[in-house]
Amino acid sequence: MTVIAEVISPGLMTTLQDLGRPGMRHLGVPLSGAADPLSLALTNSAIGNAPDAAGLECTLKGLTLRFKSAASFALGGADMKAMLNNEPLDLYLPHHAQAGDVLGLGSTRTGARAYIAFEGGLKGEDFLGSCSTYIPAALGGHKGRALTAGDAIVSAGLPVASPQDIPVTLRPNIAHDFFLRALPGPEATQFSEGSLTDFFTTGWTVGRRADRMGVQITGEALSLQETPPMASSPVFPGTIQRPPDGKPFLLLCDAQTVGGYPRIAQVIAADLHLAGQMRPGDRIWFQKSSAEAACEIAQQRASFYGGFFPGGFFR
Amino acid sequence: MNAFSCSVTPFGENGWLATLSGGDMVTRALAANAAADALRCLQGVTDAVAGVESLVLRFRPEELPAGDARKKLESALKKSATQTASPGPAIDIPVCYGGEHGPDFEALCEKLSITHDQLIALHSSQLYRVLTVGFAPGFAYLGPLPFALQTERLSTPRTHVPSGSVGVAGAMTGVYALASPGGWPLIGRTPKKLFDPHGAEPFLFSAGAAVRFRPIDEDAFNTFKAETT
Repeated sequence: MTVIAEVISPGLMTTLQDLGRPGMRHLGVPLSGAADPLSLALTNSAIGNAPDAAGLECTLKGLTLRFKSAASFALGGADMKAMLNNEPLDLYLPHHAQAGDVLGLGSTRTGARAYIAFEGGLKGEDFLGSCSTYIPAALGGHKGRALTAGDAIVSAGLPVASPQDIPVTLRPNIAHDFFLRALPGPEATQFSEGSLTDFFTTGWTVGRRADRMGVQITGEALSLQETPPMASSPVFPGTIQRPPDGKPFLLLCDAQTVGGYPRIAQVIAADLHLAGQMRPGDRIWFQKSSAEAACEIAQQRASFYGGFFPGGFFR
Repeated sequence: MNAFSCSVTPFGENGWLATLSGGDMVTRALAANAAADALRCLQGVTDAVAGVESLVLRFRPEELPAGDARKKLESALKKSATQTASPGPAIDIPVCYGGEHGPDFEALCEKLSITHDQLIALHSSQLYRVLTVGFAPGFAYLGPLPFALQTERLSTPRTHVPSGSVGVAGAMTGVYALASPGGWPLIGRTPKKLFDPHGAEPFLFSAGAAVRFRPIDEDAFNTFKAETT
């Protein structure tokens, strides 16, 4: 067990995340994992890890840590102006630290989450095959919680390949405007015609709540036709529900497994990683897509990233 | 015969949603769960998740084409409709009703025009079935709730519901396994742990299991809590 580093200050919320627990929703267990899984996977590739190795996810304001042993790492996702002993660091490149070196991340004004991948991956508490932190149930990661000062960051000692060059064109483009393609959801027909049209044509704004469970979206409230209340039914990351306040709510990685609110749309799998970088005030447009188009996009995406994720990443 | 019918609609690019109607709630819920369990074993299936009267099947189209997935879903539901699995022994859930543990207990008695003892007797004499698990790890939707206890959700959900809180909503009752926000009126609380990620058996409930609530007093609640934590 190699302690890589010690947390000096944890930032706003820093958790251990891998690519989560897919296929466990029938147990009531959410996906969890990186909110922006593409950025974590590419950051892992940049240091030679498998795409699903566990790393750190920093939210809005990053952590500061002191290395306890020599280690290699890479940074990705939102740019938090990381410094190693006051030397600025580039994203998606391997960096090397010695014991005693200090890595400090600042805040980000564009995007919400930065990722740090350490060579060999990080060790966390396993639950159902993943060490992703799921704070509501206090499971995974470091004691099921966000990191605090004094916590040890421990290497998983996984085998590594040579670091990969991540061309700029493959890096997620993180900005303040988001275009997400989505399919009408199972209850789309329960919305008034005007609301459904508005949903896919007008611009929306990310509300004050934008966390790992989901993103509140503000704009004109969506109105429903007279419909009976629905029984709790499965929801997934990417499902857009309409709670009683009429504001759409886009579910993300930590979302509950079933919900009782009408589902107006489902964001296509290939675009969902973008939602992990949304911050309050950002703008969103939903573009209506079809199942055929979504499958084609998924195939293109898989071949685009084929060299990095041969096992297929966008599922 | 508890016949139900089902309608199938697309859910996302690689998913089908089946919604069950007709028949009784336990039959529908258990059929959805039995079908989900069967479908989960098939090549190309990424998720098979049951709701209270619905089932979502998600798949990898390169391994299981959408048309085939739909057929598998429909035939699994047809097959599960005729299954009548009997539950094992009832899971015992001790509950301290009312007081600080059931902040909506008084108001509910008043609204339903029943006494404290009647509410406790009605809630604890019924043998419930786990309709489905979900929402959060360890949460089980239980039914059917006696008609005399049926009520709607709170108009404003609580931001914090303590773990173990017992709630009612519509024809269902349930226990909040984790502290979370919640909109179900709360009538009591169990000291029993419903989800333990570090245990050999993390989940107490599974779909179809029988459950019975047993009234306990404050002292028994505290003793149980002290012994198990």
